[in-house]
Amino acid sequence: MEFEVQENQANNSIQGVINLQPQVNPVQAQHQEIPIKQTDLQVSSTLEESVAVTLLRDLRQIGVKLRCVLVPTMSTNNARELRNWDLWGPLVFCLMLALTLSMSGNNDDGPGIFATIFVLIWVGSFVVTLNAQLLGGKVSFFQSVCVLGYCVFPINLGALFTLFFSFFYLKMFLVIGCFLWSTYSAVGFMKLLIPEQKRILALYPVILFYLFLSWFALIV
Amino acid sequence: MQNFGSNNDLDEKGHVMTDQPKIKVKFEPKPKPSTCPICTVEYYQQFFDIEQRDVYMRIRCSLLSWKPEFYQCVGKNPDLWGPLWISTTIIFILFAGGNLSRFLLEEDKRHFKYEYNYMYVAVLIVYAMAFIIPIILGVIMKYILKSELGVFEIVCMYGYSLSVYMFVLVLCIIPYNEAQWFFLMCGLANSTIFLLVNLWDFMKKNKQTTLIAVPIISFNLALILCFKFYFFRLIYAVDD
Repeated sequence: MEFEVQENQANNSIQGVINLQPQVNPVQAQHQEIPIKQTDLQVSSTLEESVAVTLLRDLRQIGVKLRCVLVPTMSTNNARELRNWDLWGPLVFCLMLALTLSMSGNNDDGPGIFATIFVLIWVGSFVVTLNAQLLGGKVSFFQSVCVLGYCVFPINLGALFTLFFSFFYLKMFLVIGCFLWSTYSAVGFMKLLIPEQKRILALYPVILFYLFLSWFALIV
Repeated sequence: MQNFGSNNDLDEKGHVMTDQPKIKVKFEPKPKPSTCPICTVEYYQQFFDIEQRDVYMRIRCSLLSWKPEFYQCVGKNPDLWGPLWISTTIIFILFAGGNLSRFLLEEDKRHFKYEYNYMYVAVLIVYAMAFIIPIILGVIMKYILKSELGVFEIVCMYGYSLSVYMFVLVLCIIPYNEAQWFFLMCGLANSTIFLLVNLWDFMKKNKQTTLIAVPIISFNLALILCFKFYFFRLIYAVDD
């Protein structure tokens, strides 16, 4: 706030104008460096980049997390990566599985199977996570849903392969392999967060969840 | 002895000195009592306070149904883990096993049509039997017949009484009529005896409480009839 005062010497009064706007010294403004925050640059750059770049970046993140989840080596990098949960990956795999299975069955059952698989995956992940939390596990809700969703990927692969093979025993062998892979990955993540005496109580629902999905992949 | 406000002395500045005690106010935000405690997740945590050894003992109690030991197994700790996951396992066995049984009987295996309705019907029947019916019975027993047993204890008991069906329904995949009836009858006997034996203390009080055996037996009977005539029906002719 600045005010200019003029002394009116004629009638001994002071009058002036109060300027309420801050006036920056023009000399100072030239040399002043306004620190630009890193995130401001990032925000403006993600808004300006092309859609393809955004999608590729998201896909790359999904790929990185997928590798962490499915190659179950418990390094600290893995653990840190998994803490940044996202639900894009589970959504992509859920839709892929539901589409694959609804297309390979009869045309009449298609919509029914799509709806069943979609609901099964999301409600199943929710219930299994809730079960682990109620048993006293120190598991963050969305992180667990994220990992369970990522572990659906092997069953996805199994369902895609069974589209191309018609020999039943080969299909059965493939689906069993994918089921064991999914379950091993998910169990590897969850068993660290549950106390020892309650481990089976928390892991059995995970096994049942992937058994349901694998059974669908086998029969359709 | 304290006098509150009756001291009329003046201090230096001429203000009346009131002898008011300094009340220390500690502001602690009280947790808001939720309108529906049964709707929160925290309420249900008490029903999952068990270990795998406890679950094994309770299932063992329910399979050896003629011994009234269930309350010793449960103590003051009824759980909901058992009822929930035993009924979900039974749903899976009904869905997979029912269709497998039909598949084994089908002559023309390439034209076998998988019935997905088995899943929806199984979910309806099994969750009704494991949760809705025991809740209704429990409420009637607790509030009308004045039993000491809580509603969740009845739900826990009903859930574990279904555990024999996990084994019986796997055996029912064998596509022989007589074998299926035999296994289902064994399951019915085991499940009903378990419920009646453990509720015997309550039932022998008076005539009204003995009548509770009627809905128990009839619901169990209805359940195995559903199993036999919907999931494990043996159709010897191909129906279009």
